[in-house]
Amino acid sequence: MIKAKRAPKKRGMKEGGGIAATLMLAPSVIFLAVCSFYPFMWIFRYICYNYNGFRATYTGVRNFTRMLSDTTFWNSVGTTFEYAALKLVFIIPLALLMAVLLNQKLRGSSFFRGVYFMPTVIATSISGMIFTFIFATGNGILNGLLQNLGLIGKPIGWLTDQKVVMYAVTILSVWAGFGNYMLYFVTGMTSIPEDVYESAKIDGANGVQTFFKITLPMLSPVLKVVLMLAITGAFKDYEAIMVLTNGGPGNRSMVMFLYIYKLIFATQAGTQAQIGYGALLSLVAAVIVGAVTIIYQLVSKKLDDVV
Amino acid sequence: MKKLSFILALMMAALCIFSAVPAMADEKTVITYWTNDRHDMEYLNKMIEKFNAENTDNIEIQMTVITDEYENQILLAYQGGTAPDIVGQSVNLKNFTDYGMLVSLSDYIAADEEYQKVNEPYTHAFEGLNAIGDDIYWVSIGMRSGVRIEYNKALLEKSGYTAIPATLDEYIEMAKTMTAAGNGEYYGIGFTSSSPFERQLEMMAQVSGIYYYDYVNGKFDFSGYKPILEKGRELVAAAYPDQQGVDNMRALFQTGNFALWGNASQEAGVFTQQLPITEFEWGVAPVPSLTGEIKGALQTTLSKGFLMMSSCENKDAAWKVIKFFQSEEFIKGYLENGYCLPITSYMDQRIDKTKIGRLADFSLLEYESVYPAVPTINLIGDDYRTTLWNAIMGYVEIDAAIEDLNTRYNQAYDEDILSGSVKRLVIADFDPLHPAAGTATYLDK
Repeated sequence: MIKAKRAPKKRGMKEGGGIAATLMLAPSVIFLAVCSFYPFMWIFRYICYNYNGFRATYTGVRNFTRMLSDTTFWNSVGTTFEYAALKLVFIIPLALLMAVLLNQKLRGSSFFRGVYFMPTVIATSISGMIFTFIFATGNGILNGLLQNLGLIGKPIGWLTDQKVVMYAVTILSVWAGFGNYMLYFVTGMTSIPEDVYESAKIDGANGVQTFFKITLPMLSPVLKVVLMLAITGAFKDYEAIMVLTNGGPGNRSMVMFLYIYKLIFATQAGTQAQIGYGALLSLVAAVIVGAVTIIYQLVSKKLDDVV
Repeated sequence: MKKLSFILALMMAALCIFSAVPAMADEKTVITYWTNDRHDMEYLNKMIEKFNAENTDNIEIQMTVITDEYENQILLAYQGGTAPDIVGQSVNLKNFTDYGMLVSLSDYIAADEEYQKVNEPYTHAFEGLNAIGDDIYWVSIGMRSGVRIEYNKALLEKSGYTAIPATLDEYIEMAKTMTAAGNGEYYGIGFTSSSPFERQLEMMAQVSGIYYYDYVNGKFDFSGYKPILEKGRELVAAAYPDQQGVDNMRALFQTGNFALWGNASQEAGVFTQQLPITEFEWGVAPVPSLTGEIKGALQTTLSKGFLMMSSCENKDAAWKVIKFFQSEEFIKGYLENGYCLPITSYMDQRIDKTKIGRLADFSLLEYESVYPAVPTINLIGDDYRTTLWNAIMGYVEIDAAIEDLNTRYNQAYDEDILSGSVKRLVIADFDPLHPAAGTATYLDK
């Protein structure tokens, strides 16, 4: 077996295949090195420095000790988990449900597919801005609607009440993202052979049984990919939150990448751009996201074994 | 043959010389200027066009407006050798001078009496803002006023008020009364989500003699803010039930949703052009203080200036451009267009104040001044404005917020001094009513 694998490689090298392969690989490798490895090494370079874009001052382990006592950062990590959980709980079932409905080949389903996908192509800053008008307490569209329907007595402080702001943030992120995942699911469903459904129908399966016994199991490879994308995406979200709440009120919606952004770009009064410290926090955040992804993959593998 | 060659060579040389002369005459010295100011673009374009057409030094100004990441873009251009010759004032002076990016204008200024007469550079040199020690890097052509209270006269009158009171307690009482009278239709006061502490309460603290940096001892001290935060809680309880972006809140003020709004002189243009108030009369008043007595200067901001980059290859030409931007003719037009308030007594006497409209209501007060730049530090967590506002909103306790700020700011400051990234600013003869008058010293520890 081993010999059979090695033999073609040797033949290739002798025939000049190695040079050709090197030349063909070179653009990708160079591109990867410049655009991926170099920035990554650059991050490592400054984690022991105070660097404001102008001058780097070596500070030893100071950034590490600061990180350990930085309660704002650790609270933002907790908020990120909360946000990711809330988003995933709503976005995946909703995307799946809409995909199933739109896969029924009913009249107008292509139109609605487009409508639901549209938020994905709207700039995050614009959607964040639009939702500030929707969620405004005194003159907001949502409160006006809920009050007219008699569902609430007094306006809800969607963006100013610490108890509800996370729901507002979640609504925006679900609205902006579910169309994308829905499209993945629709694509996955179209690859399920039609005759499987016909067999189920002949066997007398109803819609619910067909979904749970056929659609969902046969969609599981797509579902796993979508879940992984959704998890990593949710942990990295910050742009819309920045526009909608800027992490407030009282840091209640401060997610970790928003905090890092604020440090690196010195958005606060009287503070320096903290590229070194921000680089360290970015690494820690990357480790957290990586750990969550690995845990998810282990769990999904276990589930595969069980199923 | 030899003779023919000589004549040909002579003809070629003559051709070269004659063809070169008009080219040299056409070749202009281009001075590039970057700014992040957009509001005055129309006036700048008009004046630059005039300068380019009329100046006899064959200089051409090319202006570029950079709207995002202004400072970073200048830095990147400087590092890449493509920096402009002149940049607008919105840069961190210390960072730029530490990095050797700027040229001190002191020698040019000293040799130019006309410039001194119009711009009064030595009177308006502010430590850390436009000057470091004896080196002046830019001189402002105008000022933005400190915060004022803009108020809806009709709503005040409904509750029996005609003017803004001098004490914070009376001001709070007035806001409460109007909110109660509004019964949900309108409110006494409104706050924005964008730096809300800065736009009213911080300035009320300043005129009450409370500031976050203790210049005499060279350390941060937030202890004085406690009474302001306590009263701030009362004020917020009477406020419009939402804190939206600045423009949204301006629109709500313009439509009579609340009576009291705080912001600086830019509101003159906003409420006459951008969101013109037509349904009611609006007034402008100084911010109240804790006791009614003025114990500290109200902070103002330098408005527009021009800095020369050290990478500039035609420094004398760049200085001529700066002189043009700071000439009496240019500044007069700039001020009369209402872009900012005059900073010099000379220009104050030269402008036609009937042309500046509602900006006249924001004229500088006797106790208004620029404060020396407080060293920028590597702070973790929220800045003081956010933290103090969080305390007002009740997200954190007032005492805890003050203790947290004193600890975090001074710890970061001490560590930055230790690492050499910043020096301790001490002004032993600091006077809160004349903050720019003291002598600054920078200590290594």
